Amino acid sequence: MTNLKALLKNDRWIVPFLKNQHKGLLWSIILSFMTIFAAAGLMFISGYLISRAAQRPDNILLIYVPIVLTRGFGIARPIFRYAQRLVSHNWVLQFVSESRRRLYERVASSASKIRSKLQTGEVLSLLADDLDQLQNLYLRTLFPLGAGLVLYLVVIIGIGIFSWQFAIWWLIMLTVIMIIVPVISLLTNRSRIQRQKHLQAKLYADATDAILGLQDWISSGRQDDLVAHQGRAMKELARVKNKSMQFGWWRDFLIQLLALLLVITTLFWANSVFKNNQMAINYIAAFTLAILPLVESFTAVNQGVSEASFYEDSITRLNALPELVDKEPLEQQINGTDLKLINVTFSYDHKTVIDNLSLTVQKGEKIALLGRSGSGKTTLLKLITGDIKPDLGSITIGEQPINKLQNQLSKIVAILDQQSYLFDTTILNNVKMGNINASDDQVKQAINQAGLQPLIDSLPMGYQTQMQEAGKRFSGGEQQRFALARVLLQDSPIVILDEPTVSLDPKTEHEVLSKIFEVLKNRTIIWVTHHLTGIESVDHVYFLKNGQFSLADTPKQLKQNSEHFKQLLAMDDFQ
Amino acid sequence: MIDKRLFKLNGIISRLFTLTIMTGIQGLAILIQGITLASAIVNCWQGKPIKNALIAICIFAIAFIIRQLLVVIKNQFMSAYADNAVEIFRRQLLAKYTALGSTLTVEQGTGNAVTMLGVGLDNVKNYFQLLLIKLFDLAIIPWIILLYIFYIKWEQGLFLLLIFPVIIMFFIILGLAAQSKADAEFANFKNLNNRFVDALRGLPTLKQLGLADIYGGEIYNISEDYRKTTMRTLRIAMTSTFALDFFTTLSIAVVAVFLGFDLLDGHMTLFPALATLILAPEYFLPLRNFSDDYHATLNGKNALTDVLEMIDQPEMINKNSLNLESWSPNSQLSFKNINFSYDTQNVLKDITTSIHGYQKIAIVGESGSGKSTLLNLIAGFLQPTSGSIRINEQSLDHLAQKDWQKQFFYMPQQPYIFHDTLKHNISFYAPDATDEAIKKAVIQAGLSDLVSELKLGLETVIGESGRQVSGGQAQRIALARLLLDSKRKILLFDEPTAHLDIETEYDLKQTMTPIMSSRLVFFATHRLHWLDQMDYVLVMQKGEIVEVGEPRTLISNKNSRLNQLRYHLRGEK
Repeated sequence: MTNLKALLKNDRWIVPFLKNQHKGLLWSIILSFMTIFAAAGLMFISGYLISRAAQRPDNILLIYVPIVLTRGFGIARPIFRYAQRLVSHNWVLQFVSESRRRLYERVASSASKIRSKLQTGEVLSLLADDLDQLQNLYLRTLFPLGAGLVLYLVVIIGIGIFSWQFAIWWLIMLTVIMIIVPVISLLTNRSRIQRQKHLQAKLYADATDAILGLQDWISSGRQDDLVAHQGRAMKELARVKNKSMQFGWWRDFLIQLLALLLVITTLFWANSVFKNNQMAINYIAAFTLAILPLVESFTAVNQGVSEASFYEDSITRLNALPELVDKEPLEQQINGTDLKLINVTFSYDHKTVIDNLSLTVQKGEKIALLGRSGSGKTTLLKLITGDIKPDLGSITIGEQPINKLQNQLSKIVAILDQQSYLFDTTILNNVKMGNINASDDQVKQAINQAGLQPLIDSLPMGYQTQMQEAGKRFSGGEQQRFALARVLLQDSPIVILDEPTVSLDPKTEHEVLSKIFEVLKNRTIIWVTHHLTGIESVDHVYFLKNGQFSLADTPKQLKQNSEHFKQLLAMDDFQ
Repeated sequence: MIDKRLFKLNGIISRLFTLTIMTGIQGLAILIQGITLASAIVNCWQGKPIKNALIAICIFAIAFIIRQLLVVIKNQFMSAYADNAVEIFRRQLLAKYTALGSTLTVEQGTGNAVTMLGVGLDNVKNYFQLLLIKLFDLAIIPWIILLYIFYIKWEQGLFLLLIFPVIIMFFIILGLAAQSKADAEFANFKNLNNRFVDALRGLPTLKQLGLADIYGGEIYNISEDYRKTTMRTLRIAMTSTFALDFFTTLSIAVVAVFLGFDLLDGHMTLFPALATLILAPEYFLPLRNFSDDYHATLNGKNALTDVLEMIDQPEMINKNSLNLESWSPNSQLSFKNINFSYDTQNVLKDITTSIHGYQKIAIVGESGSGKSTLLNLIAGFLQPTSGSIRINEQSLDHLAQKDWQKQFFYMPQQPYIFHDTLKHNISFYAPDATDEAIKKAVIQAGLSDLVSELKLGLETVIGESGRQVSGGQAQRIALARLLLDSKRKILLFDEPTAHLDIETEYDLKQTMTPIMSSRLVFFATHRLHWLDQMDYVLVMQKGEIVEVGEPRTLISNKNSRLNQLRYHLRGEK
């Protein structure tokens, strides 16, 4: 309970939106209430109608109003319901639009330019799913709850008009049905839902293990183990789910019993109040029959509230996103484009990843950076692009500290990584993203320079071909060339190549690499590579080990003097 | 709504029979509940003392409770059956998956196969648990009520009977219209929804290009387009429920008004009229409940069809034709005129070769030359389209043989790491291995550094959502698996080091070389430095073996295909 309170108190995603967009919310709840009201009204008025008609009044006009009202409620209920569904969906989708923008802005402000090995994409899809989840929080929990509370008020006031004693009886009953039972089921279900989510994740992991590791299960002859292994989580999940379902079924049963109690007591009450009046006696049927349609709302409130803790994780995750920070708006003047790292140290999780490292890359110089995974290559690139700040030491470009250049960095540093992202738009637009002020001719020239002209000419739609469809048709080498064209258009003096050819076959790798070094010959290049193909194109080679350079020299010198380098070089061929 | 194969399931007939009886009792309870409530109200209306109605009220309460109790009992009853059925399906599915092996993921896609085990079986469970109940409610309860209304007043009964198909017809027609509208907008939908995820996934690139800040507005616009498209579809989609709602509530209103007129004219008394009025909503209730879950019904039915189809898939036959105790220095494997086609394309052509004992065979060639396909054929993951295979004088159709699978260890480019402890990952092929043996394998596979780096050592959970291991470490874990299962004398390597950084590759080669001795090795690669460890090399081009020989001999011949490949891979002409 305290957790829930804390969650709501610190919430920045649900509550503020409810406040800002209260109009649509209000309508949605009102329409939702009107739907139930019309359903109850239909039974009320038709109960009255036939009772009155059974008294055989002399003139049909005497029952004219109930007849019209009966038809009216009959038509009104479906219309209210239809309108309610449209309004609430529209409102929820507005929430999604607004939240998506917020989510994007928050993620964007803290995202890094250098892709990490960890699947950031997965994390982001998770957040996107969270937003989708929240739609259900509104549709299934908050709207029925709101409508239920309005109903609560209206019913009690309505009965209070006839008798305040009986209104107190209803007040007690409705408090039990609409407040006490829902709160109890929320609290009972909470731990069960957490357990259920945990098991569901486990089941998914197990299924992935079963399918992706299928060959290993078969080869090792452990098919039976697979069946047993898979079964445990599934059985446990079924057990937990059954428990919550059992709870739900008996809870609904209890609500029905309470409704039964209401029907019977209302019948007795109506009998005692109305029996001595020839006209009022018709209300006995009216009041008694009107209760049954209300049960639908009772159960909806209960189901919605007990599901509420399903969304806790999603809300917690979204709230954990950082708030936006304002950036320095000013552009700094830089003096040349020399990159200097002086005595840089960076630690993460009590481990020194970059250890007192110094490096100078002059304008137009080309360097290669090698190292085992975990040696600090990615961290070094993140430091250079200002994604992370060094604990000690300084990093400057053109004598300006890198953190002051964040607003203009894309004009100074371009990055070509192993999976440069191609967006779901045309080829022309994709490349143009390198410089949105470029003319179409400049874009086409960049595409041509990247060696893509023959490919463009072979496409029926040419530059206007959509990437998404084409992405599958384009090979890895072609995709990297498109990214290269984008970098060309970006026209920044420093280019970081982050293993741009790692997923390509050797022949294509050669072609793409020689193209890269051909078209970028006037720029500074920092090239992270996993092997020595094309190493002769650079001026300096640096080997990174435990956050320091273990080996650094020109390729020519290394070839002559370093045994280690010679051994590695031999790996690229068979002599 | 019901797949015929459903009736072949074990025990389903008796379950459904019991369900029918319970639903019938429930129908009667609803009827009694309506009649007694009407009579109690009429009693009061007539101004008689309420104690005259006590019996009716008691019967009403009992019928009401029986009806609600049956809801719970029916749910429990079907839920138990559903759990059981799903467990049986799960076993059958996994048995089928393991029988199909890697052809499964090729034909079904990894995602589909995973989904079927998770969401698919969940939908099947729903189908058994909820939807059969609703279907049977619909098939039984309205007709019990209708019979009674016919008995009281046949005109009202006829009206309710005739309106029923009209409602269903409108529901279906409008549902179809909504479906076609949704289909028409589907591409649009998917596009808009994908673009949000697209922007999030492409975020590093947007940051690199300095566009991240201005893209927020774009996201909003895309989402608003999405909203508008969705609302256009929803407006129509919801009309089918609207029609259902409209006709049912209006029918109740119409019945009430007609009853009013009949009463006014003295054709009827209050009791039957009130009973009819109370029962009319109950008559429509099963239909409304069913239509609310209409889409879930379809999902459940489709999931069940998919699962049943998967279970009925044909398996490879003759998996036990090979009799091989263990691969020895004298064993022999030969291929004669093997062809393999995929999608009418000839991927392997006329492969003929013979291998014996503990030879080390390199399979080299450009990407797309058929190296991996040949390796998959040797592993039995694929069946040759034509040609013959022999092992030690035994003729075979394919190598998906139980006795063959016990002999080899296959090492892909990225070995799969299970979401489990490092220890269990290592001992995957030998779950009974002693701690001693595991420690030895860790040292031999070069995993000591990793183990000492981890706080929990061998008990650390690795894989997907645990601690991530690097490519080189994954290869070493696979090697340790092999080392623990010493019976396996055949090694199949598919580009194990191509994606690793060169220093890791160098280290790994030092680890792998001693493991390869006294084993038969097939090594598909374009990293030609491995040739110094090989006895023979098969040079492949466009699905054919174009050259065979010892590496040293071939390399000394300037015009050999192997040398051509070397120049080619180095980017020379």
